[in-house]
Amino acid sequence: MKALTAFMNGITRLNDFIGRWIALLVFAMFAFLLLEVGFRYLLNSPTVWTNELTQMLFGIYAVMSGGYIMAHRGHVNVDLLHAKLPPRGRAVVDILSSSVFFIFMLALLYFGYDMAQESISSWETSFSAWNPPIWPVKLAIPVATALLTLQGIVKLLQDIAIACNLSYYKPQDEASEGEML
Amino acid sequence: MSIEILTLLFFGSLLFFLLLGLPLAFVLGGVSVVFLYFTWGFDSFYMVSSQIWGTMGSFTLVAIPLFVFMAMILERTGVARDLYRMMHLWCGGLKGGLALGTLGICAVFAAMVGISGAAVVAMGTIALPSMLERGYDKNMALGVINTGGGWGILIPPSILMILYALITGVSVGKMFAAGILPGILLMVLTAIYILVRSHLQPELAPALPKEERGTWPEKFRALRAVLLPIGVVVMVLGSIIGGITTPTEAAAMGVLGALLSAAVYRQLKWEILREASVRTFKLTGMIMWILFAAHAFSAAYQSMGAQALIENLIQMIPGGPWGIIIAMMLITFLLAMVLDPVGIMLITLPVFIPIVESLGFDPIWFGILFVINMEIGYMTPPFGFNLFYLKGVVPPDITMRDIYRSIIPFVVVEIVGLALIMAFPEIATYLPDLFF
Amino acid sequence: EETFTWKVQSHWPGASSSYTDSLERIKRLLEERSDGRLQLQLYESGALFKPKDTFNAVSRGILEMGTISPSYAQDKMTLAGIASGLPFAFRNVWEAAYFHQGLGFEQMLQDEAAQFGVYWATDKVFPTEMVVSRPINSWEDFESLKIRSSGVLQKFLTEAGAAASYLPGGELYSALDSGIVDGAHWGAAQGAASMGLYEVAKYHVQPALNIAGTDVIIVSQKALDELPQDLQDIVKQTLDEQFWFRTNEYQYKERVALANVIANDGVQVNVLPDEVQARLVQTAQSMWDAEGERSERAQQALDLLKGYLAELGYL
Ligand code: NA
Ligand code: NA
Repeated sequence: MKALTAFMNGITRLNDFIGRWIALLVFAMFAFLLLEVGFRYLLNSPTVWTNELTQMLFGIYAVMSGGYIMAHRGHVNVDLLHAKLPPRGRAVVDILSSSVFFIFMLALLYFGYDMAQESISSWETSFSAWNPPIWPVKLAIPVATALLTLQGIVKLLQDIAIACNLSYYKPQDEASEGEML
Repeated sequence: MSIEILTLLFFGSLLFFLLLGLPLAFVLGGVSVVFLYFTWGFDSFYMVSSQIWGTMGSFTLVAIPLFVFMAMILERTGVARDLYRMMHLWCGGLKGGLALGTLGICAVFAAMVGISGAAVVAMGTIALPSMLERGYDKNMALGVINTGGGWGILIPPSILMILYALITGVSVGKMFAAGILPGILLMVLTAIYILVRSHLQPELAPALPKEERGTWPEKFRALRAVLLPIGVVVMVLGSIIGGITTPTEAAAMGVLGALLSAAVYRQLKWEILREASVRTFKLTGMIMWILFAAHAFSAAYQSMGAQALIENLIQMIPGGPWGIIIAMMLITFLLAMVLDPVGIMLITLPVFIPIVESLGFDPIWFGILFVINMEIGYMTPPFGFNLFYLKGVVPPDITMRDIYRSIIPFVVVEIVGLALIMAFPEIATYLPDLFF
Repeated sequence: EETFTWKVQSHWPGASSSYTDSLERIKRLLEERSDGRLQLQLYESGALFKPKDTFNAVSRGILEMGTISPSYAQDKMTLAGIASGLPFAFRNVWEAAYFHQGLGFEQMLQDEAAQFGVYWATDKVFPTEMVVSRPINSWEDFESLKIRSSGVLQKFLTEAGAAASYLPGGELYSALDSGIVDGAHWGAAQGAASMGLYEVAKYHVQPALNIAGTDVIIVSQKALDELPQDLQDIVKQTLDEQFWFRTNEYQYKERVALANVIANDGVQVNVLPDEVQARLVQTAQSMWDAEGERSERAQQALDLLKGYLAELGYL
């Protein structure tokens, strides 16, 4: 039971840690776009790399957000039914509907991995004028999906604990959850 | 299995799992995978990861984190708060004044962005807390933001209009020109609604109490608060119109403007910026995962033969030319609740446009109706994406039910506007005919 | 008798002339010639797979058929760079056509694509031409241009001295309109007209930046093998014939499109001054060798091309 609690806290902390670092990429995207405007407008010499690099960073930024947002309950849902149910009923409903979540994740994990592996096997590049390697961006898809899936497992374990009154997880005060951001 | 039955099952399971409380992104993704399995087989799941890869590579979406970041900085540093204080002082006794001001800001924002998610989230961040603080009813505040945030796709620049032009072959310039008057019309109609409603029910949008309305010197001092936001707008719009940046790059100018404003407020602090970046990450990611799944969903639906369904539906419509136009509006509106804009256009336009042209209607005018319908679809319960984007920024005590309820009168107002543009096509066609 | 239904992912948007003229043509012919036993279900650009992933989907056999530009298959096909057009190599469309079908370049492409389970059939060869918002009358004019480009041509234009940058298709019109860029290429006259570029850029530049087999139809070998022999033959013959028919028809439609925008939109043809052409050809030739370095096969193709151009008196 202790190991289970440690696993759950560990995953949540991992996603939180990664998310807080990836969040900083917005500064890089801002800087590169501004740089491109400067080069093109002031110096009349657009670069070949800024827009593409920005694009690649954005791809990683967007896909890697999944686990972090799950950890902070930031994926929006319709709470009409949730609002009417007691915590245990809510947990039971969430356990049932999580099957759809896991189907999505497994499909994505399988083919995301397949796609990344194919890309890595040829050290795929973009073949643009700049021609950077793009396999790291493709690799972000299975990595991000794995992090999101793990956080989904944490949520499932929480729901099971609530539904069955098990001891390994004590639900936090809802308000303090909201305060985290 | 016929596409009609598949459609019912597909959308039915969407509704079912959404009501169970599973987040929208996972409902769209999971249901797509299940249906792909039964209609196309295991290998077709490759399409899901391929669509996500494609969405990660869409350059115009880079504007989302930047515009959201800009809004976060303006909010955290107090620039937005002072702007609202100023508006409140100046509106003084006018009931609904802040809501009108918000509409104005929404329109300006719509002129800066070409995509809808960014505007809703940004306006939710800037405007919602300020309106709630000043005693505005949450229904009024949410409705205004949702409706105004949706104008980003109607007022140029608009990625949707460019796509419409690309798929149908009409002129982009004409589409942009055609969006201006309908955008103003919707704004005026919404403003009238707000004024009438807050006159009848002053508790929804209270005026500032007499003793707080301030003296003239105070009002003029507060006016300074508008300088920085205007500076940001000038930087963004100026660089688009002046040919300095593309609409996407202009988002970076917006961030630059917000940072300069923060410096003027002596709030350019690392903790503030870091916190703003984390909130930006959370909101952008929320939008992006919905888009990832929505793109997979559209692709899955198209692979099942969605276009054949639309063709069959259109053939069954009675009621002559106008019956067909109204049916097309209805289909667009319904699809806009569950599909991404590109998906809707790919499914419907190849069927619609030849019919529209053969009936003798102007495809530019139809394009404006089409875009407004999408906008209404995006703000209509239960699936409208903008509702979910807004839910992502509101405080925890505002529920989806509140958001659903708030939007209804505003949807009605937009439908009135739509009907006016249908009845008087000149509202859309006057400017393009004038300019081109 | 068994009927087969193929999913076909296009890289052309529906408004593009090639969607009708190439894709719907092949659908009509195949359905006719197979007496309805082979049906094609067409999907517009991006509907199921993005253009850059279509080759992979066909290679995996998820899609039975697709259309691409060779540059979208760059990471697999080492011949893709040459197939999508070395700048300033051919001067006439017929030269490129003969290079593909008469000298065996098409066969080389098919051999390489076969390694990935793909049957390669070039849809047509055609020129890529630029439109600019102010005319190029001197080398200085050319060097001062900001051009929207992509891939090999972006590298070429930059190397030649202009400022070439990539912008997504959706931002192209606005960028030209507001002066963020002064020029762009999107196919030639038909392509530029379909994007509305002549509304904002009135000069059509000739000669072509390149002439090449930039549109390709790809078929999954697995799907092809599953057909009975007579249907397989019908598919291959129809695709063979498509190349000649479409290459010819496209040239005709180019001329009509150009005549149309000259008459109605005030477009002018801007023939590059000899001095500019000479310098562009020089830059182009210095870049060709890099494409040969990708593989033995690519080197062979490059040697074939250079021998041919020498024979034509261009080298
Ligand atoms: Na806009
Ligand atoms: Na083309």
